[in-house]
Amino acid sequence: MSKELIRLRDLCMAYDNEPVLNNINLYINDKEFLTLLGPSGCGKTTTLRIIGGFATPTSGDVLFDGVRINDVPPYKRQINTVFQKYALFPHLNVFENIAFGLRMQRRPDPSDPTGKRTVKIPEDEIRERVMEMLEVISLKGFESRRPDALSGGQQQRVAIARALVNRPKVLLLDEPLGALDLKLRKDMQIELKRIQQQVGITFIYVTHDQEEALTMSDTIVVMDKGSIQQIGTPEDIYNEPKNAFVADFIGESNIIDGIMVRDNLVQMYGKQFPCLDGGFAENEPVDVVIRPEDIDIVPVEQGQLTGTVTNVTFKGMQYDIIVDFKGFKWLIQTTDHSPEGERIGIKIDPDGIHVMKKSQYSGMFGDYSSFSDEYDELDDASLEPVEEESGDEE
Amino acid sequence: MRKNPAFNRFFMALVFLFLYAPIFLLIVFSFNKGNSNIVWSGFSLDWYQKLFTDRLIMQSVYTTLLVSLLATAIATAAGTFAAIGFFSLRRRARSVLNTVNNIPMMNADIVTGVAMCLFFVAFFTFWSDFAAWFNGAQHFVELPTRLTLGFGTLLIAHVAFNIPYVILSVGPKLRQMDKNLVDAAMDLGCTWMQAFWKVILPEIKPGIVSGALTAFTMSVDDFIISYFTAGSSSSTLAMTIYGMTKKRVTPEINAISTLLFVTVLLLLVIVNVREARLERLGRREVRRSPRAEKVSQALSTPRGRLARRGAAAVLAAAFVVTVCLLTGATNAQPMVNVCSWGEYIDEELITQFEEETGIMVNYQTAESNETLYSLLKSGAGDYDVIVPSDYMISQLIEEDMLSELDYSNIPNFEKISDRFKNLPYDPENKYTVPYAWGTVGIIYNTAMVDEPITSWSAMFDTRYAGNVLMFRNSRDAMATALLYLGYSLNTTDESELREAFQLLADAKKNGVYQSFVMDEIYQKLEGGNAAIGAYYAGDYLTMLENNEDLAFVIPEEGSNWFMDAMCVLKDAPHKEEAEAWINFIASTEANLANMDYIWYASPNEEALEEYPAYYEELYGEELDPEIYEIMAAPQEVLDRCEAYLVLPAETRALYSTLWTELGI
Repeated sequence: MSKELIRLRDLCMAYDNEPVLNNINLYINDKEFLTLLGPSGCGKTTTLRIIGGFATPTSGDVLFDGVRINDVPPYKRQINTVFQKYALFPHLNVFENIAFGLRMQRRPDPSDPTGKRTVKIPEDEIRERVMEMLEVISLKGFESRRPDALSGGQQQRVAIARALVNRPKVLLLDEPLGALDLKLRKDMQIELKRIQQQVGITFIYVTHDQEEALTMSDTIVVMDKGSIQQIGTPEDIYNEPKNAFVADFIGESNIIDGIMVRDNLVQMYGKQFPCLDGGFAENEPVDVVIRPEDIDIVPVEQGQLTGTVTNVTFKGMQYDIIVDFKGFKWLIQTTDHSPEGERIGIKIDPDGIHVMKKSQYSGMFGDYSSFSDEYDELDDASLEPVEEESGDEE
Repeated sequence: MRKNPAFNRFFMALVFLFLYAPIFLLIVFSFNKGNSNIVWSGFSLDWYQKLFTDRLIMQSVYTTLLVSLLATAIATAAGTFAAIGFFSLRRRARSVLNTVNNIPMMNADIVTGVAMCLFFVAFFTFWSDFAAWFNGAQHFVELPTRLTLGFGTLLIAHVAFNIPYVILSVGPKLRQMDKNLVDAAMDLGCTWMQAFWKVILPEIKPGIVSGALTAFTMSVDDFIISYFTAGSSSSTLAMTIYGMTKKRVTPEINAISTLLFVTVLLLLVIVNVREARLERLGRREVRRSPRAEKVSQALSTPRGRLARRGAAAVLAAAFVVTVCLLTGATNAQPMVNVCSWGEYIDEELITQFEEETGIMVNYQTAESNETLYSLLKSGAGDYDVIVPSDYMISQLIEEDMLSELDYSNIPNFEKISDRFKNLPYDPENKYTVPYAWGTVGIIYNTAMVDEPITSWSAMFDTRYAGNVLMFRNSRDAMATALLYLGYSLNTTDESELREAFQLLADAKKNGVYQSFVMDEIYQKLEGGNAAIGAYYAGDYLTMLENNEDLAFVIPEEGSNWFMDAMCVLKDAPHKEEAEAWINFIASTEANLANMDYIWYASPNEEALEEYPAYYEELYGEELDPEIYEIMAAPQEVLDRCEAYLVLPAETRALYSTLWTELGI
């Protein structure tokens, strides 16, 4: 795509000998929208803080344009940040909030031939640039408002403008939509993507919301327990999860123990299924991921497998059906209604079967035996916007 | 419980009455024309006027303001940074430190005060050893070896007790602040210091301001801690007021108390209004008036910013210069530290002395002989001249705490009447020059008592049951009984003392005494609430102004007379100046002025003779000879009287046992 801008090399971080990041290796291209995705405590915010200069890695390097910047303080980096809960300055109005960074800047005096003397940015240039930013975020006419007189979405946009007005090469966004309600969040996702394309700089975005990540990113970095689990485009990550954790974290997945009989043939429940994966040893134990929407319900006699419906939930566009296959419960998303207690057969196309190598996450995810309506809601709620503890302890 | 609004309202009114009636009364009587707190004799601002010409009070107002402002400034800066330090700690360490911070505020002031006093004195001892060693080891820098309690220690104490209040009020503001604000500022190009000034400070400013206001109020308000740490050379307003209440309660105290009350009230109102306003603002958009907007715009232009910076610089410079001048001025000039009693000098004399000699007088007051003694013993009283009473003088001489005087520096000693020289407390007259004297007698209300009182028996007479006021101190109370029984005031005979005690105890049991009092006697006798009481002649004359029915008698059995005399403490740093002061006060002019002011008798022969004429010239009317006789009892009356001597330890112990048994 384009040239590499930031590289993290063997980055490790520990607080009180408690490892937070393990050997993070990552490069980020110019003008890329990259998302660090993972559950609370996975190390994504710490990674962002290291890039921003608010935390120093225990070991490893941060390279910016090929130059090591580990010890460069935040105010000297060409990077700006949009913080969780925006962190607007409450005592300054919108204009002054946005102008803050410009007022701090000094640049070489054009009238000084030696180039040593520096001057502040002239007031009319500041005004011009702030007004330009207000236009980008569609908040013209709000410049004399105080932050607490703005809605959450407006504050969010001011925070973005405050960072962007400095024309950074990279914008870091730390769960910027976490405090917004669902509808606003969807609008802002599109808005953010638009702004990124308009200003044409690199965005590094931290979130725990997989949907957000899938919607906006060029590249997603899935993290857990301080390690990168998978790097790829949204499509890659969704369609070819590398392990059970990624499969479970991105979308809904049924993850079943299987044996790779040979290339393009996998065995589950003692039955063989054709698939498109290969490159495993013969009869190697594997994890098999089957997305709920890739399963077709068929009459029992035509099914590759048969099971009993234990729970049906109407979701609007589809039904979420829980089916018991020999004690292991699957989630199936279908437009056809099957009543509870009915025995059904299922059929899976070869491209609906994703085979993964066994990993530390095997057996931890992909079982829907505890599934219920309530469970589903709880699951959403547990995606809390609370900052990771690691950020606190600095 | 049933709801009863009328009852509740009545109860509430009662509570408020209970809370505010005393203060209300105090304020009302500060505008009284007369000098009573009971009898209203018309509206006037005299006491306020007197206040502003009262040197002692003005000086202590100045000390109070200076110490409060300096302490507030220092404590606010230190407390703010401490709060930021606390805040950056981990949660557990922070909560531990917050608790530690709260303890000094909860701690009894008296404990803090005593502890600080002890700490300072201990430090001074250590310092003098260190300075002696240091001065001996090299000759380039001369360290002062002798440090004393004074303005410096007062300031340190105030700073110390103010800091917790600042931390307490800044801490929550820091916790409320979005933690990312500092990161955001640094992200936008600030160094940490810039972020502090541009972001943290504006955010926590409301907390800093309330903290500073609280600290200032606490400082102005404080008495106990100041009392223990100010030493002899500084006195805050609260200390001065306390000193003034000990001799004679004048409405001047009401006036100054009123002003103090109003000041603290105003500060509290400002703090509360600010907080209420900030709370409102927190919920709403700030709408500044166009005028304020203009001012702030003007200030944010480059020239405005320059002006603002200039103003700040000028203020800072003025502050530094003031502090330098203050410390400089006190060191350069010759001075003398005097400790006397409240309302015990015509303050014109101090100014006059300073003008004549160029010696600065630092005039302090103590509350009683016993307080003075403990101040001297603890090392906290660093005076040159003190004015103790007779029995205390003999004790001080016994303990070798006084310095022999060089009477060639005190030519006015000649003018002291011979009958007041070589008195038993200083038989060879090597240590003392008499200051003033007086007698104790019975004051009674002629409208309430049918026959003239002539004997101490009146103090034990059941006919006057419920109408008699007795001294609330063992020595004076026992003296009335001893006198009535015909024994010496200074008896050490246990059976005589027990007999006297029995007399008091029986009278108490029979309900003779309305109460045991000291200065409350003014109110009771002036207001006609009691008929008879024993007290000092000079004080009787004050009461007479407010109630003409009062009469004074020195009973036929004789009475107690007392002499207060000026002495110089051993090792006084300003002995020469001290002797100059004593000489000045012993002069006839000074004695006349003092006599007119305090209404105690002078020991100066000329002054005693000239006073009636002096009075006539001053007030244009003749001095009633009977009054003058009460003020300065003639020798034949004095011959019937006896002065207190210091009692042996076992007798003092007996006094204390008996007094406890009496159960006052």
